[in-house]
Parts: sequence; C-alpha cells; structure tokens
Amino acid sequence: MSVSLELRNVHKSFGGLHAVRDVSFALNDGEVLFIIGPNGAGKTTVFNLISGFLHPDAGAIVFQGRNISRLAPHQTARLGIGRTFQIVKPLPNLTVVQNVMLGAFMHTPNPRRAEDAAAKILAFLGMSHLRDFPARGLPLAALKRLEIARALATRPRLMLLDEVVSGLTTSEALALAELIKRLPEWGVSVVGGVEHVMQVVMKIADRVVVLDYGAKIAEGRPADVVNLPVVIEAYLGPKYKELAR
Amino acid sequence: MTPFLQACMNGLLTGALYAVIGMGLALIFGVMRIVNFAHGAFLMVGMYATFVLFDTFKINPYIGFLPAGIFLFGFGYLVYLSLVRPVRNQSHFMQILLTTGIALILTDSAQLIFHADYRQTHLELVNKVLRFGPFALNAASVLSFAIAAVLIVGLTLFVTRTLTGQALRAIAQNPEVASLMGINVSRIQAFSFALGIALAGAAGGLLLPPLYLYPGVGEDYTTKAFVIVVLGGMGSIEGAAIAGLVLGVSESLTSLYWHNHWALVIDFAIFLLVLSIKPGGIFGRERA
Amino acid sequence: MIGFKGWQLGALVAVLIACVFLPFVMQNDYQVRILFRIALFAGLGLAWNLVGGYAGQLSLGHAAFFGVGAYGLALFSAHSVPKWAAVFLAGLVAAGLAAIIGRIAFRLRGPYFTLASIAFAEVLRLTATNLDWTGGAIGLDTPALFAGRSFIWSLYFSALGLALLCFLINYATSRSRPGYYLMAIREDEETASAVGIDTASYKLRALLISAFLTALGGALYASASQHIVPDDSFPLDTSVQIAIIAMLGGAGTLLGPVVGAALLLTAQELFKNQFQESHLMIYGILIVVVVLFLPEGIVGGLQRLFRKKTKPLVQSAPPAEAAS
Repeated sequence: MSVSLELRNVHKSFGGLHAVRDVSFALNDGEVLFIIGPNGAGKTTVFNLISGFLHPDAGAIVFQGRNISRLAPHQTARLGIGRTFQIVKPLPNLTVVQNVMLGAFMHTPNPRRAEDAAAKILAFLGMSHLRDFPARGLPLAALKRLEIARALATRPRLMLLDEVVSGLTTSEALALAELIKRLPEWGVSVVGGVEHVMQVVMKIADRVVVLDYGAKIAEGRPADVVNLPVVIEAYLGPKYKELAR
Repeated sequence: MTPFLQACMNGLLTGALYAVIGMGLALIFGVMRIVNFAHGAFLMVGMYATFVLFDTFKINPYIGFLPAGIFLFGFGYLVYLSLVRPVRNQSHFMQILLTTGIALILTDSAQLIFHADYRQTHLELVNKVLRFGPFALNAASVLSFAIAAVLIVGLTLFVTRTLTGQALRAIAQNPEVASLMGINVSRIQAFSFALGIALAGAAGGLLLPPLYLYPGVGEDYTTKAFVIVVLGGMGSIEGAAIAGLVLGVSESLTSLYWHNHWALVIDFAIFLLVLSIKPGGIFGRERA
Repeated sequence: MIGFKGWQLGALVAVLIACVFLPFVMQNDYQVRILFRIALFAGLGLAWNLVGGYAGQLSLGHAAFFGVGAYGLALFSAHSVPKWAAVFLAGLVAAGLAAIIGRIAFRLRGPYFTLASIAFAEVLRLTATNLDWTGGAIGLDTPALFAGRSFIWSLYFSALGLALLCFLINYATSRSRPGYYLMAIREDEETASAVGIDTASYKLRALLISAFLTALGGALYASASQHIVPDDSFPLDTSVQIAIIAMLGGAGTLLGPVVGAALLLTAQELFKNQFQESHLMIYGILIVVVVLFLPEGIVGGLQRLFRKKTKPLVQSAPPAEAAS
C-alpha cells in the first residue's frame, strides 16, 4: 500500500497560541483515519492546513509524493483533496443537483455531463429525490450528505470530513457512517474529524489519531486508543487517570 | 527648519483627527463586521451640527463639537435600530449597499436643508500661528490636535479599562464565545455603532473651522477612514490610531512635494499597496 | 453553449423587432434620446450584472470604466485613431485598468473591492480634472460616431446592439460552467475554492469583460453628449445608477437590468424636476428599500413567486449558519 498523505512535524500558531504543534502522521491509500480530540484540540486547523486554507509555519504536508504546504485551496482541490466543512456550507440558493454539479465541473465544462455525473453521486448517497430542491431548506442530515456529494463529484483521492457526524442523531450518524465506509470503493481515502471516539468511529475507522492542545498524544486502532491513559486524561482530566488503571 | 519636518508636524496635527475618524470606523467594523460606507456622511452631519451651533448660538466649534458628537450618538443609535440592525446577519454586499444608501440620503438631505452653498466659520484662531522652537504651527490645528489626543486616549482607556470596553473587545475577538459568556451582543453592537458615529461626528466638528463646508464634504472621508482601517489592521482600534497619523503625514508630504489635489490618489495608492503586500494591515495582528 | 428554447428565442426576436421600430413611433429626436439612454443603461446594467449579479462582487465604481470609455474615445480620436477603433481601444484600456484593481482587491473577500471601485473612479475623476492633456475641468470635445442630423437614431441602434451583446454574454454565462462558478463564488467563496475554483481568477475575468462593455457604453454616451467633463464622466452618481438599475430589476437575473433600466429612466423622465432637485436622495431611498424589502429585485421576486417546483422542504433556515 502506498502513502496518500503525510504530515511531517507540522506546526501552526496564531499570535501566541500554538494551534497545532509538531504533528506527524501518515495515511495510506484507501484507508479511513479519524482525528479525534476535544473541542479546540486543533482538528479543524489540521484540516485547513491540509486543504490549503492555512499554511504551516513549520513542517511539511506531502500528498501523493508532492509537497502541498504552500498551495491555495483550489489547487489542493485540483490535486484531488476534497473537503467538507464543520459548519455546513451549502450554496443556499442553488438546488441540490446544482451544488453537486459544481464539483463535477472540475472534469467537464459541459453542464449536461456535469449534471449526469452529479445524478450518479446523488444516487449513491440516496439523495436522488432531493435533486431539484434548493439547498436552503434541507435538514442537517441531508446537508451533511450534500457536502460529501459535492466533494465526491470532484473525484478526489482524499476526502477531509470535518465533524462529519456532529449534530446528527445516532441513527442518522450510523447511516452516514455506512456511506463513509464505502468511500474507498470510489478510490478515496478519508480523514475524518470528531470530538469523541464514538460508536461511529469504532465502526468505520481503520486508525485514529488523538489530538490534545494541538499535539498528537496517541495513534492506533480505535479499540486500543480509547483505553490509553493519556487519552482518558485528555478527555476527563487527570483525576480520572487513576480510575482507568 | 526644513520644510520636510514642518510638513511632518502639520501632518501629525491633521493625522490625530484622521485617527479619531478611523478609530470610529474600526470600532464599528471590529464589533459588527459591518463596513460603514456612510462614515464620511455622518462626519458631514457632525460638521453641519457644529456649524448650526456656531451660527445660531455662537458656540465655538471647539466646544460645539461635543454636543454635536452627542447628537450624532443618538442619531447613530436610531439609524442602527431602524436600518442597520435588520441587515446585520446579511451578506457584506447588502450591508455595504445599505450604508451607501444611507450616505446618499444624508448628503442630499443636507443639500435640501442647507443648499449647496459653501460655508465657513471665519474663526480668527485659524489664521493664528504659534511658534514652538523651530516649528510654526497653526493654532487651530494645535487645539484640534490636543482635543483629538484626549479623545484617542479616552477611547483607548475606555476600551481597555471598562467592562463595556472589554465586552466590546470580546465580541470583536469572537461573537459566539462572547454571547456564551453572557455578553448582550446585540446591545453592545448598537452601542458601538452609535459610538463610532459619534466619533465621526465629533471629528467633523473639529475639522470644521479650517475647511469650507458643503454637503459633499464627507465623501472623501469614507475613503480615508477605510484606508486607515486597512492600514491599521481591520478592526484594530489601536492600529487605526497609528494609521491615522501615518495618513495625515503622508498627505501633508504629498501637498509639500506635489499638490494637495493628489492627496486622495496617494491614499488610494497606500490602500492598494497595503492590500498587495500585507492585507492584514501594517499594524495589525494575524487572526485565526 | 447557447441553446435557447423555442419560445425564448421567439420572445427575444419579438422584443428586438419592437425595439427597432420604437423610434419610428416617437414624435421627436428628444424622445429618441430617451430611448437611447434606456438602451444604453440596460446594457450598462447587464455589464454590471456579470460582476455584481453573478459573481456577487459589489462595484460602486463602474463610472471609472464608463469614464475611461468616454475619455478614451475623445483622446484616441484626437490622436487620429479611427473613431470606431478608438471606441475599441478605450474598452481595452478600461479592461487593463480593471485588471490592476481586480488583481489586488479580488485576492481578498469582503468589502475591499467595493472600496477599491469607489476610490478608483474618484481617483480617475481627480486625475482627469487636474491634468492638462485631459482638458482639465473644461473637458474635451468628442467626435460624432455618426454623421447627419439623425445621428441620435444611429446611436440608439448602437446602444441597442450593445445591450443585445451584453444580454447574450449574460445568457451564455448563466448557462455555462463560468456562470455556475461565479454563482458559487457569490454564495460562498470558501466552498467555491474547496471544489477547485480559482475564485480570484474567475472574479477577475467577469470584471474584465464587464469593464470592457461598460467602456463601450461610455464611448456611446460621450458621442451623444458631444462634449465631456470629468464630473459627468466619472461621478459616483453614474456608478450608483448602474448598480441600482441591476439591483432594482434583480441582480443575477437576465431580465432584471433591462427592467430596471426601463423603470428608472422612465421615472427619471416623468419626474424630471424631482430627479434634478435630489436624485441622490431618490437613489438612496431606492437602495434602502431594495436592501430591506426587495433584495432579489423585481424580476428575482417574481421568479420566486412563480417557482413552484423548488419550494424548500423545511421553511426554516439551515442551522448554525447565521454566524460568521
């Protein structure tokens, strides 16, 4: 298996605040990796660094063998990095299918072909019945799928799913997890981000990376990581460490 | 004394007023993320208010600027409640368009009420020259500088030392967190909009004596205020103060070496230069 | 790319034929001049629409390009450039200046472009006023693009041609990838860049085309006025008027700017005295009314009324979107 994405000692600070410190990890092709960590641990900053919305102060981000640390968002997207946003960003006045067409336009200037490609992806995500509704009024579960659909339409090699299940009910989250699990069928590796090692992550993640105060404190298979004392401490505070032992 | 240093001194004197104007715009932008394209028009209203006090009640503009500023505070508050508040969650596009509309209405209202005539206060102070060692400084400018300095220091103290000021900074940092901390964001926004307008109005009053007054007098000041805020780092009140002084000096040097027709051209050049080199502002800090 | 449906093509041809015959039912040249102004500003509104409507970038400085068109015609033809070539060159100069402003201001989101546009028009006005070779405040004579007593008829047909050109460009944009990209940029620039759109470049392309077309309009205007001065060529009034025409009719719609131009200029003619007295006040009130009550404009609002199929599923706004 070849390496899809690699972060090497990546560092980012805002003023005096070290949002991401010395973080390294690698992702293989076809792998599903989740970054977990409490609110403010630096997950979103990591996603913004990978997708080019921010640039690291130190360290390197390598994608498909190429250093992408200094690229702009549209350039990383063109190299094959798709992303969704923590706060969903549908284009409210466009219809569902038009939203997805925007992604498909990366590979064809022809609106009809883009529409066909978008329709296929909507079918995969079980959203065909919504295709002509404006994105404005959709419920959150549909918006989360729409974000994935739009990113998938760019035919990415890697998808960044920031807080992809936050705000969803357990059953909605599990249904979405089933879809995420199938993304490697489309040739996509996945980096997801969530606050807690929840059921969903246990089910679909091959590996997890745990962040706390911007630093990586653990990495491994989800079942192993949840029992590590450092992880429990990060979530519950030092008091509970003793109990965990 | 070299003309260069003399021009720098003159520039600093005007720049202090620019600083007050810019701080007002920065305050509104920092707290509301709304760029007030009517800032210059409100400044013009402040000038007319001061002029009316001078013309009818013989109140010296260097005193009259204060009631004018207070009047503008109330006026700004009303404008906020009736027009700006409804668009506070809309796009920049709509907000800018709205404040531009307000500017047009204010300018033409002044035209209807006071007509297009040029007016002047003919204050004797404007022609008096004070000698400070090698420098010859205009007495009116020195006085307005002193008052502006008090306003700048007062505003800085207010923002850093008082509870309201701290709430205001908290909102500028992060409105969501601020509202979680129990700050009444909506009330503080109304207050800071009104305060920003009041500063523009007071600065207008202080600018009045050496200038000719006509309804369109405020137009360039919107541009100037915006350039100051960009130079100082969007929303940074302290940055705006320094940037105001810088702009004052650069304009003064422009008049010395070129002609004051071109002051706005230089302002615009500075604006484009800052945007191309360091869009976060020369005196600003990077934000997450 | 341009695939009109049958009835659309029919309607367009019918409207065009009507426009061509309109001057024949006018009683005098003065009325034809009004038609000229309507056609001209419909074209200008459509040109603005590319930037302000589709791309969602608020320009309040289109008078800059308008004025460059006017001065370009006068200056180039004074240097013995053939007059139609001068019109074209003026358009290129406007696009070149737009490139400078756009390259700098479009890298950033937010209010920068609007301020840049306003200030740029003002800087050009000051420059034209204070330089000798632009005639200073006295201004310049402009060449007649058409000879003869009925030159205003020819100008009207030229303006009609310009408006048609602008309309077709708008139409092609709305049905093609660049149009989708511009709308994505308008709705959310971050999302647009996340799907691989080079947002700065697309905004710039829209501005270049818009500036070029606006300058052509400025040249026609200059030829109609026969003499130009800085205060008529670069004023904020013209910038605002162009923007209002598009906003009132419906920014980002095809017919909006046409409807807006017809309404505003007819009103201007009917209430000539009121407009002369306080046109800025009227513009200001129109802006406030549009922003507060009619943000989609007349055409946009009507479209919403008649659009049945695409009713939103849930009436409420999407959650967690109000902030930022």
